[in-house]
Amino acid sequence: MGGLQKKKYESGSATNYISRNKARKKLSLSLADFRRLCILKGIYPHEPKHKKKVNKGSTAPRTFYLLKDIRFLLHEPIVGKFREYKIFVRKLRTAYGKAEWGAVGRLKREQAFVQIGPHHQGEFTCFESSGFSSRSFILWGCHVMNERLKPENLSDKRYPTFIDALRDVDDALSMCFLFSTFARTGKCHVQTIQLCRRLSVEWMNYIIASRSLRKVFLSIKGMYYQAEVLGQTVTWIVPYQFAHDHPTDVDYRVMATFTELYTTLLGFVNFRLYQTLNLVYPPKLDGQGELSLKSECEEDYALESESYSEKLSALSASLARTVPSVEEEEAELDHFPAEGEDLEKMEAREKIELEQNKQKKLFEGLKFFLNREVPRESLAFVIRCLGGQVSWDKSLCIGSTYDETDETITHHIVDRPSIEKQYINRYYIQPQWVYDCVNAKMLLPVEEYFLGVTLPPHLSPFVEESEGDYVPPEKLKLMALQRGEKPLFTEAAAEEEEEEEEGDEDEEEEEDEDDEDEDDQSEEEDEAEDEENLAEMEAKRAQGKRLPVKVTPGKVKPENRMRTEQEEKAEEKRLAIMMMKKREKYLYDKIMFGKKRNVREANKLAAKRKAHDDASKADKKKKKKKC
Amino acid sequence: MMAAAWRHKRVAASQPGFLPLKSNLGGDSSNVKRRKRVNKNKKKSWNKFSDIQDVEEFLEDVRLQERTTGGLIAEKTDDSLFFVDTGDKDEKDKDAQPETTVKKGKHSKPLRIDLILQPDSHIPAPKNVLAFQQPNAKKQRRTSDRAAKLASMGILPRREKLLQLRRAAAASGVSAKKRAVANNNPDRTFYDLWTAETAPETADPYYLEQTKKKLVKRPDRLNEKPSVLPAIEVIAPGGSYNPDFFSHQDLLRKAHEVEVKKIKAEEKLARQLAVNEDVATEETTFKEQVEGLIEEEEIEPEEPEGDTEGTVTGPTATQEKKTEKQRKKEKAKRIKELQRKAERQVIDKRQQLFQLRSISADLKKQEQRTKMRQAQRKAQQEAQKSMPRRLGKLKFQDPDLDVQLSNELAGSLRSLKPEGSILKDRFLSLQKRNIIEPRDRAKFKRKYKLKFSEKRAFREIQ
Repeated sequence: MGGLQKKKYESGSATNYISRNKARKKLSLSLADFRRLCILKGIYPHEPKHKKKVNKGSTAPRTFYLLKDIRFLLHEPIVGKFREYKIFVRKLRTAYGKAEWGAVGRLKREQAFVQIGPHHQGEFTCFESSGFSSRSFILWGCHVMNERLKPENLSDKRYPTFIDALRDVDDALSMCFLFSTFARTGKCHVQTIQLCRRLSVEWMNYIIASRSLRKVFLSIKGMYYQAEVLGQTVTWIVPYQFAHDHPTDVDYRVMATFTELYTTLLGFVNFRLYQTLNLVYPPKLDGQGELSLKSECEEDYALESESYSEKLSALSASLARTVPSVEEEEAELDHFPAEGEDLEKMEAREKIELEQNKQKKLFEGLKFFLNREVPRESLAFVIRCLGGQVSWDKSLCIGSTYDETDETITHHIVDRPSIEKQYINRYYIQPQWVYDCVNAKMLLPVEEYFLGVTLPPHLSPFVEESEGDYVPPEKLKLMALQRGEKPLFTEAAAEEEEEEEEGDEDEEEEEDEDDEDEDDQSEEEDEAEDEENLAEMEAKRAQGKRLPVKVTPGKVKPENRMRTEQEEKAEEKRLAIMMMKKREKYLYDKIMFGKKRNVREANKLAAKRKAHDDASKADKKKKKKKC
Repeated sequence: MMAAAWRHKRVAASQPGFLPLKSNLGGDSSNVKRRKRVNKNKKKSWNKFSDIQDVEEFLEDVRLQERTTGGLIAEKTDDSLFFVDTGDKDEKDKDAQPETTVKKGKHSKPLRIDLILQPDSHIPAPKNVLAFQQPNAKKQRRTSDRAAKLASMGILPRREKLLQLRRAAAASGVSAKKRAVANNNPDRTFYDLWTAETAPETADPYYLEQTKKKLVKRPDRLNEKPSVLPAIEVIAPGGSYNPDFFSHQDLLRKAHEVEVKKIKAEEKLARQLAVNEDVATEETTFKEQVEGLIEEEEIEPEEPEGDTEGTVTGPTATQEKKTEKQRKKEKAKRIKELQRKAERQVIDKRQQLFQLRSISADLKKQEQRTKMRQAQRKAQQEAQKSMPRRLGKLKFQDPDLDVQLSNELAGSLRSLKPEGSILKDRFLSLQKRNIIEPRDRAKFKRKYKLKFSEKRAFREIQ
């Protein structure tokens, strides 16, 4: 036969992969630089299918990259910059070591892209005093390097279209919101924090202007928001204020690099989004807003230079547009004659559209006032997203538009058990009402959210129950409300209400509300009683007489069309099942069994809940009696 | 040099024109001691024993003259030394007197303290050299010379040049050179990235790529996400700050299950690693010591006897050579067998005609099986896409679920205590989505061992 003998690991998967260390050496970069480069360029490690083959017979766990990816990186001019920078640092270090200040100055001058602001000078001092402190080097190096992250590459390469970028904006938003809440303690650059803050405020202002907020969920971790931006669903998480401890097992260098990338991305996305709404970028408050925000005590909050950005971040005024805003026209959906399924889909779509339009204008005409203990930024953001007006105490934050004494305020958001001075013509509610309204896409009844009242659970809007799943009764109630049904007063609810009435009569407004509701209820009860009476009377009459031997003429029973239809349908289904092939039948049975099981479980849970409720109610009663 | 000076002075003293101020100079030679005879072949003895009294005196006199009169008297003109006494001194005094009396009120005498402070020497004080000296004067002179030379040639210093450039730029309204803005500059500007128009390239793309004027096209493969997991995984409904009772219980149960699993694994490990606790007791040690000394009265197990006969101890019979007859017989048998098989095949084939249905059923079954397997494999692959991969030394481990127990739950938003850290969450999410490999924090390793030593003060106390 002849031919050369094939050697192991010279073809196939062994040559398609490269280990991280080899890749690093090939690019002649340090590990930290290599990591940065990979993050910026979007090169991810890869798990080979046959690790032993790739690893040349060894089974030691290693990080592998695709060789093609690394070859692509070799073309990057940024690699050269990394090397240049490395040499520059070496020279600088030598110059510092020899105390050749002239050489230091020259080097700094020559490295044109090195800019040393006041912050960096601080870094430099520690660099001078304690040799080359690793942290200062990291931050500084990162900073310099990132100047080489050209946005052009971002567009051509990582995000070829705007929609691509928008799809990836989840991460960017979460990171920016997170970093903007960091304390300026040196865990990361102060400038980075400022930039993140600026970008997140811009984003919130865009969401307000476009009214695209859809869902909010207050979790124990942070606040989840979901918005629909240009047809893309964007979810992001915002930490609560003052909720930070700095975990030690997080690599801040890596996170800082990601943040650099994401701030760049978010900035460009913001620009484009502002353009779509004809808003001025960087954002400017419109004339009215600016006027209304003018207050004498501006200087108390911020420096002259910062007061404008602070006002922007107050979120209480609308933004200036490049084109004077026209009353928004309702973009109607195109109607095409369609049949069958398409028609159904169309209808569904229309319904959703309608709902969304309603949601957008949910708070229009409502005037909110935030007490000082509620999360101001979050609430202001949500309220403004739904078209409401919002203000707060002048001493709380910059940008309040009206006072607490304003007579036109409709809702006053308070998060304390009681408040001393109350105005009659406004509701005093807890902050959860606002969030629940967003999720329910409707104005919920306020009674359950009054001061001092135990709140109904805050349900997650991110779960979608499929058929047969357990649905908490609160959600059922909510769904009924959404369908437009009157709130059904179950016995338990009625009972509770009575108790409440007994308990607290001091709250006038609540009582008023209750009275109205009760009126409706009493009417219903009256009718029911009437009917009962009639039946009783008839029974008495019947008893009075002897055997009723009388033959009454037969009544023509009105044919219940609906019922017959249903019956027919059921019959058809039964027949279809009968006609099934054995295999299909088996499958069908399996599915049905699964469904039944689900229902059974849901019923079990519901029963449990009822038992729990009853028990808790009994407890309450006992307590009351004791009291 | 010194010697030369003396000689010079001595010569001066012996000069006829010199006038000593003090009269005793020169004539007082009787005072001179007898000369000692000393070897003056050493510099030290020269210094010690050479007589310089006369020179000293002469010099002293010169200095005195200079101090008191401002120069050597011999060199002064006669006018400055003498005057003709005409005897009208009183008149002059009288003339001067009234003036002084008139001006007495105005011109008071200078204060005595000032007079004391007046220098009484006629020699002006030597000027302070240090006050007029410049540090680096030589260097500065040199640099200034060089600058002047360059200026004469028309070359401006760098600072001047930059200043002029800046001025020109400011005047024309265009900045000469845009300095690169840091990426984390809070005031950085953005623009429309996606519709930025680029001029169509006219040059050869290959040329551009090779000369690094154009970047290599990014392969589309790189834009695929390494995992199908969403960037933000929303917490379960039980994680609400004010959760529904049952969803909260559900979440708690899940967390509990995770915890139980962990504990079980730990327990298992502990069990496996547990050392057999066979601690030697007195009894066992004694037993060990007397092992083999005491005759044991154990009954040895009876050996099964019947088995030994039945066992075959391997091929013992040596096979003898086959006879011709036997060979032939075997061959015939073989051939017959083959024939039978061939016939059987033919028959079977013929029979297959009648088995068509079952064959087709078989085929169908097989196909179905392969299809099922394909589907399974595909589903598995899909599931794999959302799994964290093994990307390095460490395996990704799901973080603990963030839960708050029922008694930890806050009644209102105000009193809410957030659980977990979002930063850590984000970091782990990146790992879970295979964007970065899971890593541990680098452990601190000491390069050199610590050395302990007692301080002397401490030792002394002891």
